[in-house]
Amino acid sequence: MTTRSKDGFLSRLTRFVGAENLSLIIALILLVLAVSSQTEFLFSSRNLFNIAQNMAVVGLIAAGMTLVIVSNGLDISVGSIAGCASVVCALIVTGSGTVAGGLAGGIAIGAVLGLVNAAIINYLRVNAVVATLATMSAFRGIAFLIAPEGRPVGVLDPTFALLGSGRFLQFGGFPGVPIAFAILVGVAVLAYFVMSSTVFGRSIYSMGGNPAAARLAGINLNRMRLWIYAISGALSGLAGVIVTARTSSGQPASGTQGLELEAITAVFLGGALLAGGKGSIVGSMLAVLLLAVLSNGMNLLGIPTFYQLVAKGLLLVLAVAIGQWRMAMAERRQAKLTAAGGA
Amino acid sequence: MPSNILDIKAVGKSFPGVRALHNLSMTIGAGEVVAFVGENGAGKSTLLKILSGDYQLDQGQVLLDGAEVSHASPLAARLAGFRLVRQEPEIVPDISVAENIFVGEYPSRSFGRVDFAAMRAEVTALLKRYGFAGLINIDAMGRSLSPAQMHVVEIMRALKPGVKVVAFDEPTSSLTSDEVERLFELIRKLKAEGLGIVYVSHRLHEVMVISDRVIVLKDGQQTGDLVTVKTDEAEIVRLMVGRELIHGFKRQETSRDEVVLQVEGLSSRWHRDISFQIRAGEILGFAGLVGAGRTELAKVIFGEYRRDGGRVRLLGRDSDIRSPADAIRANIGFAPENRKAEGLILVRSVVENAAMAIYARLARWGVLRTAQMVEAVGPVIRQLEVKSSSLSQEVGKLSGGNQQKVVLARWLAAGPRLLILDEPTRAVDVGAKAEIYRLIDSLAKEGMAIMMISSEMPELLALSDRIVVMRDGRLSPPIEKQDATEEGIVALALGTGAAA
Repeated sequence: MTTRSKDGFLSRLTRFVGAENLSLIIALILLVLAVSSQTEFLFSSRNLFNIAQNMAVVGLIAAGMTLVIVSNGLDISVGSIAGCASVVCALIVTGSGTVAGGLAGGIAIGAVLGLVNAAIINYLRVNAVVATLATMSAFRGIAFLIAPEGRPVGVLDPTFALLGSGRFLQFGGFPGVPIAFAILVGVAVLAYFVMSSTVFGRSIYSMGGNPAAARLAGINLNRMRLWIYAISGALSGLAGVIVTARTSSGQPASGTQGLELEAITAVFLGGALLAGGKGSIVGSMLAVLLLAVLSNGMNLLGIPTFYQLVAKGLLLVLAVAIGQWRMAMAERRQAKLTAAGGA
Repeated sequence: MPSNILDIKAVGKSFPGVRALHNLSMTIGAGEVVAFVGENGAGKSTLLKILSGDYQLDQGQVLLDGAEVSHASPLAARLAGFRLVRQEPEIVPDISVAENIFVGEYPSRSFGRVDFAAMRAEVTALLKRYGFAGLINIDAMGRSLSPAQMHVVEIMRALKPGVKVVAFDEPTSSLTSDEVERLFELIRKLKAEGLGIVYVSHRLHEVMVISDRVIVLKDGQQTGDLVTVKTDEAEIVRLMVGRELIHGFKRQETSRDEVVLQVEGLSSRWHRDISFQIRAGEILGFAGLVGAGRTELAKVIFGEYRRDGGRVRLLGRDSDIRSPADAIRANIGFAPENRKAEGLILVRSVVENAAMAIYARLARWGVLRTAQMVEAVGPVIRQLEVKSSSLSQEVGKLSGGNQQKVVLARWLAAGPRLLILDEPTRAVDVGAKAEIYRLIDSLAKEGMAIMMISSEMPELLALSDRIVVMRDGRLSPPIEKQDATEEGIVALALGTGAAA
């Protein structure tokens, strides 16, 4: 009786996580065991707080990137968008003194830059990788240009700083939940709902799996792309705002460089296919957690940053290679099936 | 009689679900021009591709000049002496004519350097020998060539040393009548040199002029081996057609009154002055050769391609469809010919693929639960008896027939007034075919207007209420079911002028 209800829960959990993400959970468990065998500091509440806080920025970008990659696109400019948003939001907060204005401004500039990406892809017919590689450079330049003299813009508003380092539910020895992490959870839940239960999300899967067939089924690819890149841009902008709040300054570059690599790695680790049409928010978020624990663990074990860079690069190759290998295996199975079935 | 230069013995080739060639044997003598004719799908292209090494044969053997050829690769076939002149030659745009002719086989000097001097000398000699010297500049870039010049490049590729048999695949489709005459002169010259010539064409009058023998293919088998001077076009057409009709299937009677689709004077990149109409409950069959413009017409009506002129009226009202999304809103459905490329999202589930076109209709405030999708398309999928392990199974894992049923389920669920079907039973096994026929029939019975493009004569004759034939972007007047014969339709499609 109890085991049956437990099974029901387990199978429901498996469905939610996705069977293809079980390996991710296993990898996470192995990683935790490996790190905690070397240092007991991993499970300290302060460290867990740090991990949660560090996840927020990459997690927000990875949520948007999931939409982009599932639609068979790519956005390399997300880090630069976050940089622009960071500067813009710092200027608004210091100039007007309104926190809400800074938050809205950062998100809005992100959405606008995302629309620029989509417009380049749609109307100039530039491939997504090349288009966003170009805007990665251009947007970073813009971030430096709008920052007075190209220097970081200091923000001293204490309310605004809460977005980066604030916490709630703090009591006794428990350090509380970082506000930034709570924002990520909120965004992830919303993104999960959008991807799984809305016309927009379903259409992203369709267009990513086969754009020609999606168009013939009535999906307007250009309009979809405008929305997808705008959302990815807006979430990158939000990530930029959080970076600003944490560092108390609008940073054109520092803190947002290299975010594209981590976000893209997370999405592919989370089960997305290079060819599009597959991927999930749950998978991407699990992968973000895995990456956060990995880099935290390497810090705890005193592994130098340079090794970490190499490890991150390897991880991206590994993530995509696993996806390609899965596809190849599925195709081989299919070929065998037809060979057996068709006489 | 000259000795055999090409000997094809008991060759067979199958694709999943289709037997493309069955126990085919034939010979071609040195200095002989043999034409291959047959309807779409008769096996001409498959045979050419086996000879050229693009496909591997399953059974039989091919002898070239007495020696067995292992047609393991296109290169092996070339080296053995079989050369194919393709209908649409691959010309590299940014290299010269001489390089295009020798691409892949550049003569070389020490250190892997290309011997440009030798290459140019050889190309010049080739062009002179076959009378093309004044026609083409060997230093011109590929992109500057006219279609006829591209054809010359393709022919020169074939005639490089070592050639024994040359096959021309629809060689005159892009040529003017003067150029055709020049091609025939060339073929006569090659014949005099003792090469074996294969001439594949739909244009029977050309076949009658240039060939010594005509081999007729039908459904992957040989139905005739005729000496050209002793036969005529009518006999050839008779041997090409006459496939078995579909047994045990009869269309239900439907009332036809309301005109659903009316096309008047439509023109586009591919079409001139197309007019026809389809009434509710009617199946209008579109016959024609591959490349005649039928698929393009379907896509123009569906808003995928642009219409340049003419009117399209739906249910009596002028329609302005500019995209597939517009077409779907106007209650048109389209099941494309190439399921995998244009019909299905292979990595997604049966439910999603079936519900894709009606997402917006199913949703409330943009929210669409899987349960709603299952509710909407589940009954249709069950009705069609799609064999899948579950509704959430990936479509890529289904058989061809079941994949096609998923495409049809999509439009069944959408319930359009006009349904365009492009080769609805292509690469579908026999059992599933019969089910698909019954389904199309019942859709018409329910009052749907159906535009059905098919290259399978029995299918067209059994299902259509009326048949129109497209040829080079123009449409014949409709033929009523009772007046339609396979011979008449094939004659119209080929443009042989035989009475319809």
